[in-house]
Amino acid sequence: MGWAEARRWSGFAYRELAFQAIYAFRQGAIAPNVPAAELVPRAERRVLQGKLVVATTLVLLAAGAALLAHVGPTVLPGPAVAPGAYTVGIVTAVLSLEVTFLWWTGLQILPTFVASRALEALVPLPIDPATFRKIAALLYLKLFDAPVAAVLVATPAFFGLALGWPAGAALVPATVCAVAFALGLSLVTGRFFYRRVLGSRGGGGSTLLRWAYLVLWVAPAFALVGFVTVAPSFFAALEPLASGFPSTPGVLLLAAFPIPFSAFAAFLAPTGGHLALGPGTATIVVAAMAGYAGLAGGVLSWVYGSVGRLAGPVPAVVRPGPAPQYRLRPQRAPWAVMTKDLRLASRTPGFAFLVLLPVLDALALGLLTYARAAAQAATSLALGAVSAAALLATFFGPAFFAIEVIAYSYGRTLPLPDRAVVVGKATLVAAIYLVSGGLVLGLAGLRIPAPLVFAGFVAAELPAVLAATLLELGLLFRWARRRATPVPNLYSGAWNAFVVTLPGLAIAAFPLLLDQVRGLGTMALAAVAELVVIAPVVLGRDGR
Amino acid sequence: MGSPGPASTPLAFDRLTVDYGERRAVDHLTLAVRPGEIYGLLGSNGAGKSSALKSIVGLVRPTDGHIQVFGSDAVDDGLRARELVGYVPESTVLYEALTPREFLEFVAGVRRLDAGIAGERMRAFAEAFRLGPELEEPIATLSNGTRQKVLLAAALLHEPRLLVLDEPLNSLDPRSVRLVKELLVRYVARGGRGVLFSTHTVEIAAAICHRIGILDGGVLRGEGTLGELRTRVARGDASLEEIFLRLTRGDEGLAEALAGLDRGADGLG
Repeated sequence: MGWAEARRWSGFAYRELAFQAIYAFRQGAIAPNVPAAELVPRAERRVLQGKLVVATTLVLLAAGAALLAHVGPTVLPGPAVAPGAYTVGIVTAVLSLEVTFLWWTGLQILPTFVASRALEALVPLPIDPATFRKIAALLYLKLFDAPVAAVLVATPAFFGLALGWPAGAALVPATVCAVAFALGLSLVTGRFFYRRVLGSRGGGGSTLLRWAYLVLWVAPAFALVGFVTVAPSFFAALEPLASGFPSTPGVLLLAAFPIPFSAFAAFLAPTGGHLALGPGTATIVVAAMAGYAGLAGGVLSWVYGSVGRLAGPVPAVVRPGPAPQYRLRPQRAPWAVMTKDLRLASRTPGFAFLVLLPVLDALALGLLTYARAAAQAATSLALGAVSAAALLATFFGPAFFAIEVIAYSYGRTLPLPDRAVVVGKATLVAAIYLVSGGLVLGLAGLRIPAPLVFAGFVAAELPAVLAATLLELGLLFRWARRRATPVPNLYSGAWNAFVVTLPGLAIAAFPLLLDQVRGLGTMALAAVAELVVIAPVVLGRDGR
Repeated sequence: MGSPGPASTPLAFDRLTVDYGERRAVDHLTLAVRPGEIYGLLGSNGAGKSSALKSIVGLVRPTDGHIQVFGSDAVDDGLRARELVGYVPESTVLYEALTPREFLEFVAGVRRLDAGIAGERMRAFAEAFRLGPELEEPIATLSNGTRQKVLLAAALLHEPRLLVLDEPLNSLDPRSVRLVKELLVRYVARGGRGVLFSTHTVEIAAAICHRIGILDGGVLRGEGTLGELRTRVARGDASLEEIFLRLTRGDEGLAEALAGLDRGADGLG
């Protein structure tokens, strides 16, 4: 069978993948009240919408970066940067962000790719291994098609407009390498996930190890923050390239992906952003580009041969461990819900992201306070970090409800009141906020003049976070009951997420704004008042 | 002996009707599981067995009719009914990322069980079903049969008064099938309890069920002991398979279907 046949089979598999990605029937969800003929087209539309959102973000990133390259280094605050180094810096940033963004997208998609078992259904059919590899590779590529097309087309096109067509054309091989590396990284880390995270045994030590692995999963999301943070040092490090006589570290920097491609594009750029390359540096650039092109070819070949191996029933590898402990520690229902959610999150990257993002964001911003010379600036940053943690936790809170999609049907058969589920999940969100706030306090405590007042600020916002989450979850339950529909199906619509999150964010943000205009006391009173009003409504009669 | 009162009747369906859009899955089903009884609901694929069972635990909302579990209305007071019921679903879908021990811990917590008792029961199930290291491995990595054992353990963990089992023996090995059959017989023998058991395997229904209901197209075509069903079809030596085919008219067109399959096979040959 050739590529045409493989394309046809991969189309079937893709339809199943999209269907499972949206409705999660294999994970126990129940069919929504939608005409059966509508289910598959609707699932495909939603997956396409998701891909278009990612692709649009990448197009905007390329357009913004190209605009910055066109304007030149005058937009940078601080000491002047040579135009050539500036061009190299901007192109390097956009290519690096494209790799990390595609990689991160792959990390989010891969569990669905495996859980859908879309390829597994083809295994018993008489398809020869070569064709099966083609089907698997095409299916994998289909998950990334719109974002990959955005990178391959938008980046050279926008930089062609900004820096001239030779520079734009020079970025075509650079974007191909970026895509190849992102696809490879996604697959490597995805396989790693199935070996070390999904296959990890129970127990405290394994749980800690899983969370440590999952930090890696979330790390690419911080690429933009990281780049903005290190940008001044980065531009300074690139300055020697513009002099034409780089030192040994400069040569090493010049050889690191994607700088050779950026340097070559800058070399082809007109006077405004031109980088002069001497014979020595030009040799390094050309050799490195050739090396990366070869490596990208190797990576693509490896991806082509390896992606089909994820098609087995369950690729997780469980390591042998000690005999089981016949000991159970049952907890009251809300705590049992919270513990279950945390345990699921520790083996499910999508949910781990909800826990780790606010915490890691607080960690990053807390550390950044040490980069601020003035205590006032450090205090503002610390307060901003806590506010961000409150808003992030509130924003992601309702997404914890989607955990119920996993074996939702089984959870519904237990004598578990809605109230217990809402309280369990709201407590988890509050705990994430408290951990984040505590991290900022621990890190920035020495940098800010009044740490006790700062601790008061963290505590004062807590009731607002609880109130916001209770409201969001309460609304989800209310809608689910009214429509007699499983909640996850209801929530899988973007509109519902939007409607539920908006009032939640408003409730969490209101006390933060009051602190700015009326002080900490008023903020604390407002937050408590929000909780006192919302909690009885959500947990009262309707919170059965 | 009179019939038991509602509070001691493990399960009563009264004109239960379940619709999915315009399709009727269960049509005015009335039956009762008596104390100490294993009631087998026998039906073809799509006969409405799973829909009827799901409505007991709130997975499906009935369009009409009533369900009572030991006198409690399973629709209006679903929480109370679910406290009394142990349910094994048709599919072995569980929280994939939890280990069986973590899953049972969650179930024990929701059912407010004492840690010592829950632990002892887990040990008993694990030893009976030969679950060793699997207790600490993520459910996603387990076979369907092992998942089924975990589901059975979860359903029995709180010693429920009513067991609702939807095709519970499908993925089990012969030893475990034997174990479950014995377990169910002993379970109802302790008195005051009941089992509603759905299957499409006539041998299993005939082997362990005190009474059998035959469901076809959502309608109860007949119920009773094997003897009573034989009387119904007026054949004293009829097997349960023959009774089932007669009551559901499943034997109609059977010969033609087989002949068609033969013709298809000849064509392939």
